[in-house]
Amino acid sequence: MKLLVVEDENLLRQQLVQSLTENGYVVNGAEDGRSGLYYAEEYEYDAAIIDLGLPEIDGIELIGMIRKAGKQFPILILTARGDWQDKVAGLDAGADDYVVKPFQMEEILARLNALLRRAAGFAKPKLEFGPLSLDLSAKLLTVDGEKVDLTAYEYKMLEYLMLHPGQVISKSELTEHLYAQDYDRDSNVLEVFIRRLRQKLDPEQTLNPIETVRGQGYRFSLNEDS
Amino acid sequence: MATKEQAAPYSIQNRLLVGFSLLLAVFLGLTGVVLDRAFRDSIEAGAAEQLQLQVYVVLSAIDEENGEFFLLEDLREARFSQLNSGLYGFVSSRSFGELWRSDSALDLRLEDDGILRLDLPVGESVFSRTQTAEGDELFLSSYGILWEDGISEYNFSVLETAAPYYSEIAEFRTSLWSWLGGVAVLLLVLQVVFLRWGLAPLHRMARDLKSIESGASEELQGFYPRELKSVTDNLNLLIKSERKQQGRYRTTLGDLAHSLKTPLAVITGVAEKLSREKSSGLPADTVKQIDTVEEQLDRMNQIISYQLQRAVQANGASALARQVSVRSVIDRILQALDKVYADKAMTHSESIAEQAVFFGDERDLMEIMGNILDNAYKYGHSEMQITVEVISAGREQLSIVVEDDGPGIVEEQRQFVLQRGARADTLAQGQGIGLAVVTDIVDSYGGLIDVGNSKLGGARIQIVFENPKIS
Repeated sequence: MKLLVVEDENLLRQQLVQSLTENGYVVNGAEDGRSGLYYAEEYEYDAAIIDLGLPEIDGIELIGMIRKAGKQFPILILTARGDWQDKVAGLDAGADDYVVKPFQMEEILARLNALLRRAAGFAKPKLEFGPLSLDLSAKLLTVDGEKVDLTAYEYKMLEYLMLHPGQVISKSELTEHLYAQDYDRDSNVLEVFIRRLRQKLDPEQTLNPIETVRGQGYRFSLNEDS
Repeated sequence: MATKEQAAPYSIQNRLLVGFSLLLAVFLGLTGVVLDRAFRDSIEAGAAEQLQLQVYVVLSAIDEENGEFFLLEDLREARFSQLNSGLYGFVSSRSFGELWRSDSALDLRLEDDGILRLDLPVGESVFSRTQTAEGDELFLSSYGILWEDGISEYNFSVLETAAPYYSEIAEFRTSLWSWLGGVAVLLLVLQVVFLRWGLAPLHRMARDLKSIESGASEELQGFYPRELKSVTDNLNLLIKSERKQQGRYRTTLGDLAHSLKTPLAVITGVAEKLSREKSSGLPADTVKQIDTVEEQLDRMNQIISYQLQRAVQANGASALARQVSVRSVIDRILQALDKVYADKAMTHSESIAEQAVFFGDERDLMEIMGNILDNAYKYGHSEMQITVEVISAGREQLSIVVEDDGPGIVEEQRQFVLQRGARADTLAQGQGIGLAVVTDIVDSYGGLIDVGNSKLGGARIQIVFENPKIS
């Protein structure tokens, strides 16, 4: 999952980037509204965290511009004032949730999780596909109620695929959302991850949850339990 | 604004009215007196002239022989020969008194015969008043002459009843004063009309100010006369700068909040990181210290949030209130909260009177409704209800009720959560400052807040504001 963090306070931005990275996200940090807008327009993100009090272009304006540019990813705003005028203005402009400063990192993570899940069209915090169940907040996979251990990259990949069920995800898209920009993108590594994931999810090879679409990429092909 | 109880305010219109009425009374009164005197004088002068002529008539027709006066011919004026005709002729001398009287005066008794013995120099005449013995007023004209013998000096006098002259004066007086009275009434009416016309801009200004006070308009609009223009321009400037000041105040507070809370967020992040590491074998002392830092951070944050929110709304019901549509504010907040609580799928039913307006700052209403509705979303299970009404019980009241189907607020907690000015540092861990802020704002507008049980099963929060009177 790829995130954009726009926060002008250096220390806070670094903290956010670090914590989010530790939690398995790919994060770009921007220090003002202008570069925030540049990143948002140039790259594909799954969500953004935007501070309302930004230099150059202020947060509310930035959100408006991002939405105007046709970007639909969920936006979480950080507000220092915490008054309702600000919150409502931010949400009106196109943000999806807010967190008041100062905050606990867990709160940010929980809100982000909910936003990502909602953006993918899931109402519940657990994604259930047949015997597969992915708990987004606990970052836990169970198959037939049995816990399955995944590495951080395996989890990230599965989460991304499960949040976009039925869609063909190209290798480059997958790489983009799983790795930091400067990471060496070797598609063979991806194939290795996919193979390992398939083994863990479906050792008997009866489900085939991750299909390979020749020449195009991968597709998570199970139907969601309602 | 706190004003001392004052005596009934005086009115410029009444002052001008009283002043002008006094002026009118003095002016018309003096005019009346002067005209009356002038008319009277001219009537008397006319009478004197008339009598002087009659003296000549008598003088030309009378002769004397051996001290006896007699008429040589009938007097040309018939009234001298008619008894009690009102016109009487006399000849007298200083030493002998009356020597002759006309036939008309045969019955006449004068109150004072002395006037016939006046010491008049020859060739001089005098005009005066006297009375009959019965008290009837008479005009008298006497003329001193030297008789043909060159020795004897006589007074020739003619008297005439004054009554006809007086009745003429009385008639004039009646018509004079009734005219003056009429003019006075007319002038007073005109004056009232002029005053109203002249003071109309002031009335208009008062009305305009009232509508600014009640939020119906933003500034003094329309044309004002030159004399008021500088006042209204200055007032508009003052209102504008007051609003700007408020805006600046808020921006400054916002900046302050931002510059305080961002470093606070950084410290929180660091402390969090430390506390994550505390399981990995830090000394017990250090762990304790980390906990203290976290606790104190929490307190600082609550204090800053609470005091900043209080400072922003501390203006309360200012004289520069505006009318804020309650519906639009609630709609915006609901729309925002529906997004935030998308997972919860709360259903809300609203009954909001269209004409419901809040007289005050939009920010304040937003803060009140934001906190209350957020609580309803947070604690409600699946359902909430919003009722906004305008109640007219004597004075108009705005009533806002928000109910939910959550666990509600237990009796003992109710007073505590509403405690006005509850100091944030005394609040228990995790307890929000939302309702305390709401209470502060509601209080600053002189409103009431009540916490009770809802039919839906949860909390019922009611807020009542008294609307300002608009005339």
